[in-house]
Amino acid sequence: MGEGGIVRSFRYWHEIVLLVLIGVVFAFAQMFEPRFLQLDVQRELSTHIWEIAILCLPMTLIIITAGIDLSVGGMMALCAVTLGMLFQRGLSPWVAATMGIGVATLCGVLNGLVVTRIRVHPLIVTLATMAAFRGAAEGLSLARPVSSFPEAFGWLGQGVWWGLPVPAWCFMGLLLLTASAVGLSRWGSYCYAVGMNPEACRFAAVPVNRVLLGLYAFSGFASGLAAVLFVARRNTAKADIGMGIELLVITAVVTGGVSIFGGRGNLLGMVLGVLLIHETREFVSWRWSRDELNFVVMGLLLILSVLLHRWLTPANRNTS
Amino acid sequence: MEIRGLSKAFGGVQALNRVSFGIHAGEVHALCGENGAGKSTLIKILAGIIRPDEGEVGFDGRPLAFGDVRRAEAAGVAVIHQESVAFAHLNAVDNLFVGRECCRFRGVLDRHAMARQAREILGRLGEDIDLNQPLEHLPLAQRQMVAIARALLARCRLLVMDEPTASLSAKESKVLFRQIETLRESGVGILYVSHRLQEIFQLADRVTVLRDGCWVSTDPCCDLDETTLIRRMVGREIAARSTARGKGPQEEGPRLTVRGLSRAPMFSDVSLDVYPGEIVGLGGLVGAGRSEVARCLFGLDDFDQGSIELNGVPHPGGSVAASCASGMALVPEDRQHEGLIQTFSIGDNLTLPWLQRFTRRGVLRRSALKTLVTRAIKRLDVRLQSTSDPVSSLSGGNQQKVVLGKWLAGKPSMLILDEPTRGVDVGAKEEVYTLIRELAGEGVGILFISSDLPELIRLSHRILVMSEGKIRGELSGAAMGEEAVLRLALPVGNGQGVD
Repeated sequence: MGEGGIVRSFRYWHEIVLLVLIGVVFAFAQMFEPRFLQLDVQRELSTHIWEIAILCLPMTLIIITAGIDLSVGGMMALCAVTLGMLFQRGLSPWVAATMGIGVATLCGVLNGLVVTRIRVHPLIVTLATMAAFRGAAEGLSLARPVSSFPEAFGWLGQGVWWGLPVPAWCFMGLLLLTASAVGLSRWGSYCYAVGMNPEACRFAAVPVNRVLLGLYAFSGFASGLAAVLFVARRNTAKADIGMGIELLVITAVVTGGVSIFGGRGNLLGMVLGVLLIHETREFVSWRWSRDELNFVVMGLLLILSVLLHRWLTPANRNTS
Repeated sequence: MEIRGLSKAFGGVQALNRVSFGIHAGEVHALCGENGAGKSTLIKILAGIIRPDEGEVGFDGRPLAFGDVRRAEAAGVAVIHQESVAFAHLNAVDNLFVGRECCRFRGVLDRHAMARQAREILGRLGEDIDLNQPLEHLPLAQRQMVAIARALLARCRLLVMDEPTASLSAKESKVLFRQIETLRESGVGILYVSHRLQEIFQLADRVTVLRDGCWVSTDPCCDLDETTLIRRMVGREIAARSTARGKGPQEEGPRLTVRGLSRAPMFSDVSLDVYPGEIVGLGGLVGAGRSEVARCLFGLDDFDQGSIELNGVPHPGGSVAASCASGMALVPEDRQHEGLIQTFSIGDNLTLPWLQRFTRRGVLRRSALKTLVTRAIKRLDVRLQSTSDPVSSLSGGNQQKVVLGKWLAGKPSMLILDEPTRGVDVGAKEEVYTLIRELAGEGVGILFISSDLPELIRLSHRILVMSEGKIRGELSGAAMGEEAVLRLALPVGNGQGVD
């Protein structure tokens, strides 16, 4: 059907909705808690969000291909444990961290291989490896934490460079790389194509398996990086790192307008989704100092953003 | 049934504009028009899926309620949709009865009664369908039969059929026609939508033509001939149904040589040659193994035995990327699922296979891709507003042109076309034919699969006919006739004559 008109063909309604919601949160903060908006407060509050944001990058692309990766927390645990054990055996923390990221990347490759070769749905594959990676990490470390890393290593998680926390720079670097891969190279188009119609992709000689393998490996790499930042920030490497983090990540990505059915969504929306969820949570904790309220707020935000998106784009309801 | 002043607009597009005509009981009423003429919209209104903006439909003297499928069914309107709307995971019985299950006591399904009725009604259609198989495992034609059986089961008084024969073989179509005759005699009104004019002249009592959402004419079938009808549908003169062919094979080595290609149990021992500039038709019934051969040639499936040579070079099987790289292209049978990514823009669909070719140091050359799209759109004369519109906004014929354009962009030397005109309207069909001839004129080798016999005969230089996975014979020159093709296409041992 010919769905004309500027209103309907405008593709960034969801991003506008998110911006408005973020604006509402900020306006609220300005009225009741002006100190919340000060830069140093914001920087202080942002410490833990960068790891989640890093995990959101591969998750966005994987969900665009109509897949999902639930095992990010498990891969983080394996990376942290590898890091801790190698450091304990006298390796430099930098080498140990690199090895840890390597292990997490290999875990991602394993996920990718099972998804592409054995053709099991990613939800099942990563549900299984989520438990398996976590179990392996607990078993290897006997659940003992490793700490007392040198101060220079701690800078990675706690340091500030040019006015921003070091993890923030890591995220922005990775975001820039991912965004240019999606926007400039052919791999971005391939992600969307695979998510919308894998059968037509085979007919068009799109290397579906390589796309998926690469994305799950990227997810492993990002999990490793997030784990290293986490360990450096907390100064402990323990197997219970990143418990339940996959749900936070998926919530942020879906709030950002990435369709769980694949093929729709973008990195800009994801970044706004992370920002909205983060600011709302922090504001709620700041004002009412009640953590349990946060879960309710997150759920409401998710539903609200989806509903607003739908009301604003009548075209979505009329097609089919 | 009386349709009065029906209108419907989508966005700014007037899909139906004050359409009025009537359908008598016991009449086969054909509805014709190019894709986008408003036929599908009209059907959806009758089926109760969408509401018209204005107008009304009288059915047996009472107005028909709009926008409610259940009430339309209860009133006796049954619709067989073009893309058969079915539950692929469920078996034939469940598909027949979904929404109107037979029950014993309170809410306990009477499976025996349903299976019995299903067998009876499918038996009446002359179909031997495995009732326990999920629909997705059945051939397309049998799925269509299930859809028809579902309509019959509803004991309808108006049956709407939207291109029911699009996926049926000649034999199956005949079975269907016989059913239509029976229904007509029992006083059911039938609204029959088809692009196949032959069928219309064979079946219909009256013909209504729609063009751009407007009613054009309603006439008894015997007052019309094919040319008049086409002219009314298109609104312009079509370069008559010329049988002029391209210049045919040139004196060179073959583009494609296939020897003893087999893939159990689909087909075996398939050998053929396609020369530059030659259009080789591949005829046969649906399920004869033609599409499977095409898939193997293109590398979508592996083959068990045999060899493929492309331009004299041995070609490995099993890799679409290798096929593309060496200049082969396949326009697949199922446009919706295999040919296009519906939500992608027209431009993105056109360029998808060629992204790697247009990459420099990992970065896509957007301007080069844009040129590619502009050139393809121009050559194919696709009617569109913007190349960034989703491809789903185009009509069937224009979508098919996009699929063709996607492969032509790679300048193939060997082109395989699997039912390239299925669901395409008359005007666009002619354009596709012209394009195929032009390509052959440029030296491209073309393997042309079609179940539409007249078009197969019109276009091909030679016709190979397949049946039950084997090539049964070759026809060329004056020997190419509908009867001859059909005779070869019918399964051996099933000594059924062709009338």
